[in-house]
Amino acid sequence: MIKIKNIEKTYTKASVSTKVLRGITLLIKRGEYVAIMGTSGTGKTTLMNIIGCLDKPTNGQLELDGVDVYGLDDDALSALRNKKIGFVFQQFFLLERTTALENVLLPLIYADKYPANAVQHAKKVLASVGLEDRMEYLANELSGGQQQRVAIARALINDPDVILADEPTGNLDSESTTEVLEIFSRLHKEGRTIVVVTHDREVAGYAQRILELKNGGLIENNTSSKLENSGDQ
Amino acid sequence: MTRIVRIARESFRMIGGNKLRVFIMMLGMAVGVVSLTMMICVSKGAYEKVMDIVNRQGPDLLQVRPGTDKHTGLPSGSRDVVSLIEEDVDAIFQHVGNILNAAPVKDRKEIEVKYGDKFTLTRIFGITPEWSQIRDFSSRKGEFISEEDLSFAARVCLIGQTVKENLFGAADPIGQIIRIKDVPFTVKGELEWKGISSAGRDRDDRIVIPITTFTKRLFRDIYLTQIVISVKDTEKIDRTIEDVRAVLRERHKIADGEPDDFVMRTPQDLIALAYGTTRSLINLLTGIAGVSLLVAGLVITNIMLASVAARRNEIGIRRALGARKNDILSQFVIECLLISLMAGILGTILGFGGSIILSSMRVAASKVTPLALAASLMSCSLIAIVFSIYPAKKAANQSPVEALRA
Repeated sequence: MIKIKNIEKTYTKASVSTKVLRGITLLIKRGEYVAIMGTSGTGKTTLMNIIGCLDKPTNGQLELDGVDVYGLDDDALSALRNKKIGFVFQQFFLLERTTALENVLLPLIYADKYPANAVQHAKKVLASVGLEDRMEYLANELSGGQQQRVAIARALINDPDVILADEPTGNLDSESTTEVLEIFSRLHKEGRTIVVVTHDREVAGYAQRILELKNGGLIENNTSSKLENSGDQ
Repeated sequence: MTRIVRIARESFRMIGGNKLRVFIMMLGMAVGVVSLTMMICVSKGAYEKVMDIVNRQGPDLLQVRPGTDKHTGLPSGSRDVVSLIEEDVDAIFQHVGNILNAAPVKDRKEIEVKYGDKFTLTRIFGITPEWSQIRDFSSRKGEFISEEDLSFAARVCLIGQTVKENLFGAADPIGQIIRIKDVPFTVKGELEWKGISSAGRDRDDRIVIPITTFTKRLFRDIYLTQIVISVKDTEKIDRTIEDVRAVLRERHKIADGEPDDFVMRTPQDLIALAYGTTRSLINLLTGIAGVSLLVAGLVITNIMLASVAARRNEIGIRRALGARKNDILSQFVIECLLISLMAGILGTILGFGGSIILSSMRVAASKVTPLALAASLMSCSLIAIVFSIYPAKKAANQSPVEALRA
């Protein structure tokens, strides 16, 4: 469960302060698929970075599974990111000159325990996103869609509770977009919490809940039409 | 697999990422290590040479020669100065403690010696039986000079191995008659093999005869060319030197403020002589090694800082995936350590090569020693750690979000 209370974030640059998030309060239950929408510059990525413990708010509280995140030191926050959160970024953020398999294994380097069957496990996860024949390819030898699937496999390797995706289809063509979104839907059905930040209504349409960021505040939009439609079937 | 091993493996994997960076870092370090290795090998070579000389001459050996050391700054005897006589030896025995043995020596160079139709020019030493123990020169075959030979000024001799080779070849010289300055001498024995001295002199090209025979039958000269002394306790050798000096100055009636009319050569002088020019080479190599390694350290810091700036994105990704600050710090330090160790091994190999070349060119005695490898690897490790800490900390302290935005 993700519990956000009164989160504020102000950026100060050259003595000019810009308030990006204004008292955001949000509860995301375990297993939910949530889309956070908003136009460019509304603070979607800032909010995702705060939920992912990559950034700290100016004010407010964040609880992950009942743990007050801001009571933790930097090492504990790193461990929490490693264990509980899987990130999928718009730019993929894979290590260059590194194979798909090595990229997927990366989070295990920082895990408390390195599993004996790490490589087999990573291969299995890569196969689950349809990359069984691309494991030894270097990241820069893969297409955008394949790179994003490697990033998803990397996000899944530690079996996290939450997948945080920031514009995950922003750099993909329509075919790859559909593939990635289908993977998210499958992960959601497996019981994972998915939080997707996007400006694309079609991407948001895959989520259970859509929230919209406007003027630094969060508005509950509506339930996903796609899910409603699938419920009608 | 422990966390640090995983991070070390990751460091090793990332080294291949920028070959130019690795090459530049290795270059500076390798130059320093080459100098360091050569310095250690030359030092070791010089040390072994010194110890060899000291051991051959004896760490308990004092040599007193006539002459002064005004010109060279080092003790050196002079044949032109006559000051030592056999009574000086007796006085030293009587008045100086810590003396185990003392013996007078007379010698002459390039004396013609004949055997049948063969002849050679060699050095003749007039000695007493004590000389054998003091200089560790015993007979290889036959017998040494005895007290009886001394008393009767017997015309007997022992010949060195070079003399034997020149006059007798493979034949047995014992009992044969040779002529020294046309005076017949019976070969009583062969001296044991001694090799080349520190001054490059053939120590086997000599003949020893009783000192009395030397004076009465060959040269009629009362002055000694040397007094050799062995001490009981080498720890007290400095005191003994002063005592011998005082006795000789008094006997030679040398006024206060006047220089000695003799010089004393101690094991310390031998060490100074043996190090000689090698010391300046060692100093030069030490300087080059120090400056090179310092420069290599500064190069490491600069390249690492540039690398941290270029790899901000990678740092952000690793932090997002759960790397702690210490993991990032360790990764960068280990990367630097591995590169430095590779440079260390390469530099040591090149340094060994350089030392062998120095040795073969007779610039300096050098000895390839594992100590150089150990010292090089330790220096490299130390420099790598010290000079990479700052950039590695800078990498570790980056905010994950800022790093990802880079």
